[in-house]
Amino acid sequence: MTPGTPGNHGPGPGDSSTMTTVESPRARVLPWLSTLARLVLGGVWIAAGVAKITDLDASVRAVRAYALLPEAVVQIVGPGLPPAEILLGALLVLGVGVRVGAVISTVLMAAFVVGIASAWIRGLSIDCGCFGSGGALAPGAEPTYGRELARDGGLLVLALFLVRWPAGRWALDAVLTRKDPT
Amino acid sequence: MANKRKPVVAARSGPSTAMIIGIVVVVLFAAAVGFGVYRSQQAATGPVAVPPNATAEGVPVGRASAKATIDIYLDFQCPVCREYEQQSGATIDQLVASGQAKVVYHPIAILDRYSSTQYSSRASAASGCAAASGVFPQYVKLLYANQPPENGDGLSAAQLVSLGQQAGATGSGFATCVTDQTYKAWTASLTDQASKAGVNGTPTVKVNGQVVDNTDAALRAAVAAAQ
Repeated sequence: MTPGTPGNHGPGPGDSSTMTTVESPRARVLPWLSTLARLVLGGVWIAAGVAKITDLDASVRAVRAYALLPEAVVQIVGPGLPPAEILLGALLVLGVGVRVGAVISTVLMAAFVVGIASAWIRGLSIDCGCFGSGGALAPGAEPTYGRELARDGGLLVLALFLVRWPAGRWALDAVLTRKDPT
Repeated sequence: MANKRKPVVAARSGPSTAMIIGIVVVVLFAAAVGFGVYRSQQAATGPVAVPPNATAEGVPVGRASAKATIDIYLDFQCPVCREYEQQSGATIDQLVASGQAKVVYHPIAILDRYSSTQYSSRASAASGCAAASGVFPQYVKLLYANQPPENGDGLSAAQLVSLGQQAGATGSGFATCVTDQTYKAWTASLTDQASKAGVNGTPTVKVNGQVVDNTDAALRAAVAAAQ
């Protein structure tokens, strides 16, 4: 099912927020960039959530390893994050409530960036735990904070892009908002 | 029914309040489900069965009155732990035999994802069975000598049983204990405790609560300082 029919000239009535009346190359490309950003960000959320959801104990250990949150909060964030990530990813991939999902993604990614940077600064020897390691490094491995920060920083940029330009192709949002009384 | 719907406000003002609330509630609900599952898993384990000759903290070896306590956090899937045992095992045995130190082994399971069969957890639970049979130190050495490669299938239950018999665990109780993973909850509890103690990797060696480098010299110096 493709909500946005091909050959549809210009942003349809359902395409929200950015109202560009003149058909410019930018207006043609932006929605596809938005779609790409949604699929990448949503895909990473789903992958990260799925990797962690089968071992909630490990997810709790991963959050605890940062030594930033009090124990009671650790036990909420640890098991709560994986299902929330999967749901957030699904919403982004489907294109439902993209701007809200992007804002939530921005907040979470910013928190992850702060957490990883703080672990690096404090000289901790942990894995970011992003994809289900439970915070433990692979045997004999050194921390890779730089790479983790670059990845999460890149995803943060994608999330911010979606906050600014949420309307893209292949998004259910377009269908939902098309119920205009006309 | 018709024409009773409120007209939808055009999306140019951004997402509707209902959409914002809806998405936030749904995401929070997902998180709450995860939290609920975690809590129910915790409650379901109940009181942890501790192997005889072991404690809720681990497996103590040596004279209880020894002045230095060496805590060793290990994972049977961890190659560096095996190297540490080969390098420092004799030193540790000697410090224990001389009465200067006692050792508390913490066989934790943080490398389950490096085997298709959660070998870390199964081997740790089996080591609890070995403790119950009074052959823990011998069993540890055999588990290291037969350590399966990472990202493989781990040792089978039958192999874990056979190594136990090699270590001197006679009687049918040991085999049942390994196969049933009787001390699985003990393993999970040790792993959680280690995490709470700030142990995020193996091997981690502490002397009287202080982390020491994984070298013979550092271990000997720390034990000597405690006398």
